Amino acid sequence: MSLPTGEGHPVLWQRLSPRMLLVHPVHEVLRQLPLLIGSLVLGSATGNPWWGVLALVATVAFGVLRWFITTYRIAPDEVQLRSGVLHRKVLSLPRNRIRSVSTDARLLHRVLGLTVLRVSTGQEARGDSEFALDAVAAEQVPRLRAILLADSLAIPEQAVTPGRVLARWHPSWLRYSPLSFTGLAMIAAAVGIAYQAGAAAALRNSPLAQSGRDVAQRFGAPATAAAAAIVVLVASVVLSVLRSLVTYGNLLLRRDAELLHLEHGLLRLRENTFDMRRLRGGTLREALLVRAFGGARLDAVMTGVNGAGESSLLLPPCPAATAQAVLADLIANPDAATGPLRGHGPAATRRRWMRALAIPAVLALVGVMVGVPVWAWVAWAGLTLCCALLAADRSRSLGHRVSDGWLVARSGSLERRRDCISGAGIVGWTVRQSWPQRRAGVATLIAATAAGVKRYQVIDVPAELAWSIAAGASPWVAHNRWAAPDPRD
Amino acid sequence: MDKSPDAGVTLVDPAHPPSRKAPLVWAIGAGIPWLILVLAQLVWVALDGRVVWLHLLAAAVTALGIIAFVVVAPLWRYRVHRWEISLASGPPAVYTRTGWITQERRIAPISRVQTVDTYRGPLDRLFGLANVTVTTASSAGAVRIVALDSEVADRVVAQLTDIAAIGAEDAT
Repeated sequence: MSLPTGEGHPVLWQRLSPRMLLVHPVHEVLRQLPLLIGSLVLGSATGNPWWGVLALVATVAFGVLRWFITTYRIAPDEVQLRSGVLHRKVLSLPRNRIRSVSTDARLLHRVLGLTVLRVSTGQEARGDSEFALDAVAAEQVPRLRAILLADSLAIPEQAVTPGRVLARWHPSWLRYSPLSFTGLAMIAAAVGIAYQAGAAAALRNSPLAQSGRDVAQRFGAPATAAAAAIVVLVASVVLSVLRSLVTYGNLLLRRDAELLHLEHGLLRLRENTFDMRRLRGGTLREALLVRAFGGARLDAVMTGVNGAGESSLLLPPCPAATAQAVLADLIANPDAATGPLRGHGPAATRRRWMRALAIPAVLALVGVMVGVPVWAWVAWAGLTLCCALLAADRSRSLGHRVSDGWLVARSGSLERRRDCISGAGIVGWTVRQSWPQRRAGVATLIAATAAGVKRYQVIDVPAELAWSIAAGASPWVAHNRWAAPDPRD
Repeated sequence: MDKSPDAGVTLVDPAHPPSRKAPLVWAIGAGIPWLILVLAQLVWVALDGRVVWLHLLAAAVTALGIIAFVVVAPLWRYRVHRWEISLASGPPAVYTRTGWITQERRIAPISRVQTVDTYRGPLDRLFGLANVTVTTASSAGAVRIVALDSEVADRVVAQLTDIAAIGAEDAT
């Protein structure tokens, strides 16, 4: 793999793309918007408009300075990034620790043909400690990616040629997005910000609020509330679908030999390259509503990739069959992805029911003692029914499977997940029993791995089975000195 | 793999208990915060002793807490805590049993061990104890052997670092 300069010579510090001279000032102005507005207000208050101009010039100059000050270099053994206008800092990463390279292009970046390139070592890195080249020319990205990943991957040059497509986004996937709460969360956030900015006080005396009150009086409060709820619901659905479309539109999951390549986004284009040799399994996640419509989301279980959140996402909610097929393909084990699971027996089921019905039981006791009106009992019955359904679904979800050195564990109801973990990736086992679990004769088996969320649980398996499951996935458990054949055999 | 998962495997408990001084050290460690609470309550009585039932209630709660955490927990933990390192037969591994109300058995193969640390708190030093932490690449996989006699801990660390050095794999 060719380096920017020959080995042995001091490697030159390079600047980011000169086009960033256009981007930085804009970003800086956006970032300092409150300050600029403040200075404008100050200017108009003191009758001296130069305050605003001065602040703008300073902000733009700061942005331009950022480009001159940020430099990076790719040395034979490490990559370094120097940045910071006021606080100078140098970030160094050993090249053999690089685990993944991802790119990200916001709208302005894309217009100018730029891409942000992020290098991850698998350690948690946020904000300041993140190694991000913001930004390089998009046409340089394949070359930089190959150079940066060369040390840790040692991929031959031809392997970079496009490989097999595992999944491609389809507009029908959008049908799963209204089922999430993202739209509602976005509305709540917008309302919160508006309130903070003092919009509520402005709204209270506005003609808009007055006409709203008139309407409410004419149609009655319940009808108005229902109408408002429907409006919020529709807005939330529209927002969810739009967000999903913009974020995941044109998603493409491709496998090039030992590299897994994910790209998605309509306006903001994001690409992520994973090293397949760090894959330790996958997780199928089915939120209750998504599951009801036959959907699932797929996450990678990988060392060096945070298991929760967006960084491990391979497929957003999509038809479950697609997610299962991709998972089966990635881990080369269809049984682990879709095979039947072994249930955890009556004790585990009993524990699910006890837990779910504990709250209704306490409420009933309180209700009897205090004496509450009839409608409260109707609400209580509804709550109890929901809890019972939850308990039934949670018990049905519980299951595990060990075969061919793979551990599969499924649990949960509102957020059901099926974790498929490679036994080779498991670095330790824990069998945990609380006092009620000991009495019920069950145990929680925890597989520790360096990948994903680090701990994968098999909840409430019969205690006598726990070590057998561990031994099934990790043969070394069965071969150590403490292992004794089960007395029942 | 000659044992199928259905053949049934159980693990016998690890052999070695912690130091004999462990319950005492745990009791003192747990007792100090409770002692401060007792002193605070005495000060409260001295300053304002009017609401007698409230004082009695607070005293009862404190007494229960002391019995549970200063008397019962250390003795119970001493009965539960076991550790062992297997070097001879099979793949080398470290195995512990810990806890009291919630009990854990944790096993990790030494080939996957990344670091071996010892920790001695002020109380541990006073009584000549040490805690050994064996970390793996997973944050959920660290094996802690607590309250060992110092010389035992040193021997354990020496043994573990010796073998761990042999395995030069990535350990992830």
